[in-house]
Amino acid sequence: MTMQRIKPHLPWITLLVLTAVVGVVDPNFLRPANLLSLAGDIVPLFIMALGLTFAIYIGGIDLSVQSMANMITVIASIYLASLGAWVAVLCIAAGFGLGMLSGFLTTRLFVPSFISTLAVGGVCFSVAQWLSGNRALNMDAEQRNATFGWMIGHTGIVPNELFLAAALLALCLFIERRTVLGRVLKAVGAGEPAAKASGINVGRYKMLAFAISGALAAIAGLLFSVKLSGGAPTIANGFLLPAIVAVLVGGTPLTGGVGGVLNTLIGTLIVAVIRASMLYLGIEATQQQMLFGLVLIAAIALTIDRSKLRTVK
Amino acid sequence: MKLTRENVIRWAPALVLLGLVVLFAAINPAFLSQRNLARIALASTPAMMVALGVTFIIVMGSIDLSMEGVVSLCAVLFCLLFLRLGGSLGAGAWLAIPAILLCGAFFGWLTGMVHVRLQIPSFMASLAMGFVGTGAAVLVTGGDIVRIEDDVFRALLTWRILGFPLMVYIAAALVLLAWFIQNHTTLGRNFYAVGGGEELAHASGVNVRRVRLAGFALAGVFYAIAAIFQVARLGQAESVTGANLMFVAITSVVVGGVALWGGIGGVLNAVVGVLIVNVIGNGMVVIGLPNYLQDGLLGVLVIIAVVLSTDRRLVSFAK
Amino acid sequence: MYQLSSVDKKFPGVHALKAIDFHIKRGEIVGLVGENGAGKSTLMKVIYGAYQPDGGQILIDGKPVHFANPRQAMKRGIGMVFQEQSLIPNLTVMENIFLGYEAQFTRLGVVNWKAMAAAARKQLAKVKLDIDPATVTSALSFAQRQLVELAKVLTLEERVEGDLVILLDEPTSVLSEDEVKLLFKLVRELTSRASFIFVSHRMDEVMELSDRIYVMKDGQVMDVVARAEADASAIQHKMVGRHVDREYYREQRQKPYDRSRKLFEMRDVVLPGRPHKLNLTLHPGEVLCLVGTEGSGREAILRTIYGMLAPLSGHFEMKGEALRGFNPRRSVAMGVGYVPRERKIEGIVAGMNVYENMTLSQLGRYSKAGVIDVGREKALARDWISKLSIKAHSEFADCGNLSGGNQQKVVLSKWRSGGSDIMLLDHPTRGLDIGAKEDVYDMIRDMSDDGTGIVLVADTLEEAIGLSHTIVVLKDGEIRQRFDCQPGAKPSLYDLLHHMI
Repeated sequence: MTMQRIKPHLPWITLLVLTAVVGVVDPNFLRPANLLSLAGDIVPLFIMALGLTFAIYIGGIDLSVQSMANMITVIASIYLASLGAWVAVLCIAAGFGLGMLSGFLTTRLFVPSFISTLAVGGVCFSVAQWLSGNRALNMDAEQRNATFGWMIGHTGIVPNELFLAAALLALCLFIERRTVLGRVLKAVGAGEPAAKASGINVGRYKMLAFAISGALAAIAGLLFSVKLSGGAPTIANGFLLPAIVAVLVGGTPLTGGVGGVLNTLIGTLIVAVIRASMLYLGIEATQQQMLFGLVLIAAIALTIDRSKLRTVK
Repeated sequence: MKLTRENVIRWAPALVLLGLVVLFAAINPAFLSQRNLARIALASTPAMMVALGVTFIIVMGSIDLSMEGVVSLCAVLFCLLFLRLGGSLGAGAWLAIPAILLCGAFFGWLTGMVHVRLQIPSFMASLAMGFVGTGAAVLVTGGDIVRIEDDVFRALLTWRILGFPLMVYIAAALVLLAWFIQNHTTLGRNFYAVGGGEELAHASGVNVRRVRLAGFALAGVFYAIAAIFQVARLGQAESVTGANLMFVAITSVVVGGVALWGGIGGVLNAVVGVLIVNVIGNGMVVIGLPNYLQDGLLGVLVIIAVVLSTDRRLVSFAK
Repeated sequence: MYQLSSVDKKFPGVHALKAIDFHIKRGEIVGLVGENGAGKSTLMKVIYGAYQPDGGQILIDGKPVHFANPRQAMKRGIGMVFQEQSLIPNLTVMENIFLGYEAQFTRLGVVNWKAMAAAARKQLAKVKLDIDPATVTSALSFAQRQLVELAKVLTLEERVEGDLVILLDEPTSVLSEDEVKLLFKLVRELTSRASFIFVSHRMDEVMELSDRIYVMKDGQVMDVVARAEADASAIQHKMVGRHVDREYYREQRQKPYDRSRKLFEMRDVVLPGRPHKLNLTLHPGEVLCLVGTEGSGREAILRTIYGMLAPLSGHFEMKGEALRGFNPRRSVAMGVGYVPRERKIEGIVAGMNVYENMTLSQLGRYSKAGVIDVGREKALARDWISKLSIKAHSEFADCGNLSGGNQQKVVLSKWRSGGSDIMLLDHPTRGLDIGAKEDVYDMIRDMSDDGTGIVLVADTLEEAIGLSHTIVVLKDGEIRQRFDCQPGAKPSLYDLLHHMI
């Protein structure tokens, strides 16, 4: 019973403990400037994880987010010149539409989401390769600064990305807590049969969850390409694992129904602190994958609601 | 034979394969040249091994997404061990082969343990273990490429019989072995029992956990074989040796007609599936289409295959 | 030779078996009857080793035994032929017969299919089934599968020294009349090698086949009847008979309903899989009770009204409007509320709080442009919590943590607060304790008073009789009889049973 009570609080306790440990080892870590730049760097990942939260919240998964972001970096780099700021609309619409497609495959054709999103990810990868001719692309620096410079500048010492992240978090929190969509998604995650028996058109809302996941992955890709001033079909590889880890470590279990976007904020910060601490230990980003894999397993094992799984397949 | 849903599902993959071959051959007769067929066969072998492994798991109704990591790790370890043992197949380095098969089995078993013991759905358990495998491969190599230049070992690629490399024949023999395991051993049949009705199998006294663990270990062995073939084909290993194998293998197995829900299809379906996928990849190049369309096309194919094989009367919702 | 001596089994809140004494002799066929919830299935699970008794003893040939799982029971010759199809459909017949016991045919893990096929043929011959053992099970008819299951259990004969006890759980439910006759003939012949425990809800079959019949009620054995003295109506009375209190079912609160208006009307409606035409009408304030055995078609009617099932033909009018499309969304919009039997799965969403559950079916009414007015939701929940005296610490209480009765109140208030005036209640008192049941009865009367029409599938016959204005008796999907149930002029149990069986 005590474990049951502690469980919801584990994520932020973990975050505090980790931060304190790293702070003791290296007092520089806790300097506001350092923390802020750290937070700014993680924003694309956070936005992606924010979207992914919706897919996991209903008990599904979206494995296409990384390919989606890859594709969007390519699209953004190519069409910035001709569309200007409108390219953002194109990117978000593409993400929303392809997410909707995953949702359609899952809810209407009963393709499990891990397969449908994997397949849609394959489509994204093809599109990215096709559009880019399989090359790395660069944005025109001046035009980038003119159109999207506001995204990556600083206000005082605060990176502007953080404002973007805060705005999106507020929007998602509003959707989750205050809208019919959020309420239905919670019901679907916690008990889909009861939601159906209440006469709700469950499928439509589930499709929207995947669409939101796609749209936010697209925003993450857009921000990423603006930061790097370019795009390539594999440039965002390495995002999928930490994004899933962020959602699950934050306390939204794979079985859905509990947790939410605030949890993902905490989860992303945990990922950021782990990453930073690894840097102090001299472990490079590419080598962190193994650790994150293990963290992922631990996080799932701790959060998953086994009473919802009749048989574990 | 009646045109029932069952029959369509059973024969559709083979017909699709035939249709594709005819189509590509009609557009460009060079498609059927021996050199091109050998190219297809060679390109198929590592994916074929991975597909065989994951077939057993899908038949059980689970899924394994760890192959990229396992293949990379096994390939890297194989190369390092091979070099440590003398660098020549004749000079004791052959020991690396059984060692790496054991290594694959162990990693697969570990994935199985995470899945069965911690009761984590297999797609997530294996995805995470795949990341661990890739991460371990990076850790072991430090991001470098490891080369093997032993002529005896490379004979797998260079020694050709009737135009086909030696490894194609070995792969064919392994397909037969997998088929034998599936149809003639208790373990193979228990995969079907678990996939067809896990609770019923348990009630009949089948040790479902042990069957699951054995399935993942067996898959690991096939991934290790795939790693060896991959090294033989490329002459080197690095942390991305296994890249893209997950998508290709899962697509192949599902397109070949193995139902994701478990219990239906088997090794022969996987073989047909791998051939479909590789014929498409090769054929697109032969008829002059850019090969990067492949992933998108495979994505579409896999959806069609899953939709066709789903009995919608039995499924109330998918997550 | 097999005996249970004052066996007890308790679950949290339920005393499922109370000091059961049971014995079966060599070669005997024993029938086991009782209503749903009488304890039959618990007793069977104790016998075949799935449950361990909390008290009392299991004796074989006078010696106490203990089974930790079904496999251990099988080793002592006790086998179960399951009600639901327990064969794995994608395996062959012989694989199913020897599932879990393949070792006898394998060497180094490799199966000798010829040996297994020969052994399987021997088993199939016992049940007189002439099919190729290599046939895939899904290709068999239901009757054939039932026989294969029997053959599978009969492998015990070779594996076990000593006597066999075989449980048959509703083996006839998927069989035609001729197939039932064949099965019975076979079972009688097999008594030379095994004893049988036969469980069925078809009284005529139990009486025909069994040497003795155990009658269960409320976790107790009410009587043991020998075949010679068996009388259907006497047994049925023992199965269902309890002291019926008119107060208990709030009969004094039953008022005449408004016959001039119709909430819905079914005319000559034919449902999938059933050839019979159904005619039903529900009036405001009426409690219409559907009575019949499991599988008699009660659920199908409820599901049709709720829109989950579309009729094949006929005319279905709801509130004066002829229905064409059938789906729950539409039914809910027309004022239909559904209290499902599986309260914890379809009734409430565990993990959501009281107000979230209450508004789940009427989110449109509590939101504007997709944005929810949480303040109004909470007010609604507080209102109904006090109206129905729901025991929850506040409107923020997780419904998964409420007691069964309070969960049911939440489900009921979900519909009532939304203004539903056609309520479908499927076993609304299942699993509730007596106080909670009485609350539900009160709520049913309240709803009637408000002019709500109720279609009820009751947990027991007395409940049906006590609560309803009208009873419709169903058998095999056909409406057999209608009863008017005015207080003081209610039909008796026997009147109903007469048409049910």
